[in-house]
Amino acid sequence: MKLAKNTWVMFVIVLIATGWITVDNRYFKPRPVKFIIPPGWPQPVYDFSKNPLTEEGFVLGKQLFYDSRLSKDGNFSCGSCHQQFGAFNTYDHNLSHGFNNALTTRNAPGLFNLAWQKEFMWDGGINHLDLQPLAPITAENEMAETLESVTSKLRSDNQYRKLFKAAFGDETINYQRIGKAMSQFLLQLVSSNSKYDKVMRGEASFILPEQLGYEIFQKKCTGCHAEPMFTDFTYRNTGLPLDLSVSDMGRMKITGDKNDSLKFKVPSLRNVAMTFPYGHDGRFFSLLSVFEHYRKNMVVGPTTDVLLQKKLILSNFEIGQLTAFLYTLTDSTFLKDSRFAPPGFENNANPPADIHQ
Amino acid sequence: MKTIFFIFTCVLLISVTSMGFIRDGDNKIQQRQLALIFQHTMGGDKLVLGTPCKNILGENIIIEKFKYYVSNFSVTDNNGQITKLPAQYFLIDEADPLSKNIILTIPGASIKSICFLLGVDSIKNVSGVQTGALDPLNGMFWTWNSGYIMAKLEGTSEVSAAQGHYFTYHIGGFKNGMNTTRMISLELPEKEVRANQITITAEINQWFKGKSELKITETPVCHSPSALAMRIADNYSTMFSINAAH
Repeated sequence: MKLAKNTWVMFVIVLIATGWITVDNRYFKPRPVKFIIPPGWPQPVYDFSKNPLTEEGFVLGKQLFYDSRLSKDGNFSCGSCHQQFGAFNTYDHNLSHGFNNALTTRNAPGLFNLAWQKEFMWDGGINHLDLQPLAPITAENEMAETLESVTSKLRSDNQYRKLFKAAFGDETINYQRIGKAMSQFLLQLVSSNSKYDKVMRGEASFILPEQLGYEIFQKKCTGCHAEPMFTDFTYRNTGLPLDLSVSDMGRMKITGDKNDSLKFKVPSLRNVAMTFPYGHDGRFFSLLSVFEHYRKNMVVGPTTDVLLQKKLILSNFEIGQLTAFLYTLTDSTFLKDSRFAPPGFENNANPPADIHQ
Repeated sequence: MKTIFFIFTCVLLISVTSMGFIRDGDNKIQQRQLALIFQHTMGGDKLVLGTPCKNILGENIIIEKFKYYVSNFSVTDNNGQITKLPAQYFLIDEADPLSKNIILTIPGASIKSICFLLGVDSIKNVSGVQTGALDPLNGMFWTWNSGYIMAKLEGTSEVSAAQGHYFTYHIGGFKNGMNTTRMISLELPEKEVRANQITITAEINQWFKGKSELKITETPVCHSPSALAMRIADNYSTMFSINAAH
């Protein structure tokens, strides 16, 4: 009998001891996603160690990106103004539409290859990708919502509690996690499969106008639109006259430095055929009007870029060849990649037929 | 069986007691808790939000909001030994009484001075989204120009030319040449070196006449990293003092 008693005592002690074993994250095993750096590209600047990519994080991030409840009136999601068929710009819009019929003051840029980007917005005011969604969510002329309200809407949704648990291990919903999850989605928007990329990889070859255009591009454009990102991520004044209705001073707003007056981030030219209109405020509706600006209409002022002091000399022939080359930067596999389409519309990511030129 | 039970109990006892030893080993220096009570005054009188008062420049004002970050605490003992405390960030908010009492764990029985950063260090300004006191929800983060607002003073004054006669000072900026964080070092009065509770007073008049004059008439608004923000930070860096007696 003593044996049985001792066994029982031991059993109870072991049982109590198991109480100290932490079981919290026992079943939390998100599936990791490997971030692939396209051959020949530089190392990304985003610190993945602080936000390791997972399938679950991507699913949550995509859900948030396409959820219009993140706006005050429930009309606008991130995806409303960042449309996949326009390489995640606002397709065919100079400015985007926000809460209460408001317009933005700048053109929504395409979203891709963000892991290589250190600063965000046309003026580079935002220093971390996780922080970026805060700006459009809270801007009065965009989604016009408060962070308190966004988090409480998400917390009251059973589906989101499950998605947060799957991505982060528990149901806590805070802005840090919203930002990280969104980054998980945004970081995976990599566009590296255009005809240009295929030519670089030796899988395709340029036709003559494309080849001539590439050579002209390397002579006249790569000073700012450096390969392979097609931007050097600097801020430059390209001679766009100041629009007095908004008086947007660009980079100067962030640095407070007079020398940064009217400077804006050099945009990537990847998918450029799809991201019209052009310029920080979308004032150029076609590539042709951009070329006309560079060769004729530029206003050269004190902060105008040194490379453009004499404007940009371009012949009609060169414009034709450059256009042919720029079209090789369209990455149709990215534009139609069903992984990035809104949840439930994975087979419907095709662009509209009326592609402008 | 008896032997097995005995051995089992012994192992259990040893593991439990050794855990205790490890903990003792970690805490060789005696730690104690020190409560810091922040109190806010306007011309020596207790600050009351939403109540008319006069600043040191003779301007009639009503203060509606007063909050600031304190972080990166360190203490100096009688031998001049400086100990950095674990990284902690506190948002002191006049409107939230709880936020004005903070508790630090400090080494040693007696300390000579206490040092902290008024604001949030640059590392936390470039590390994405934070939680707790640093959560962007607290309204102390600029979304359009990433970075924390280190200190905020808002209210109305009839002399303000801004809309609604508001004056709003949101002081931030962490980059070189625009850094608005300020290191604050406060000596403890002789009587207080062993105290478990210290009251730190912040005098709001120092915003207006700490090192230079800040007239609401001339400058009712500061909302971005700038030379003005630096000047205001210099002013309010002089606002703290430790009360000698209780």
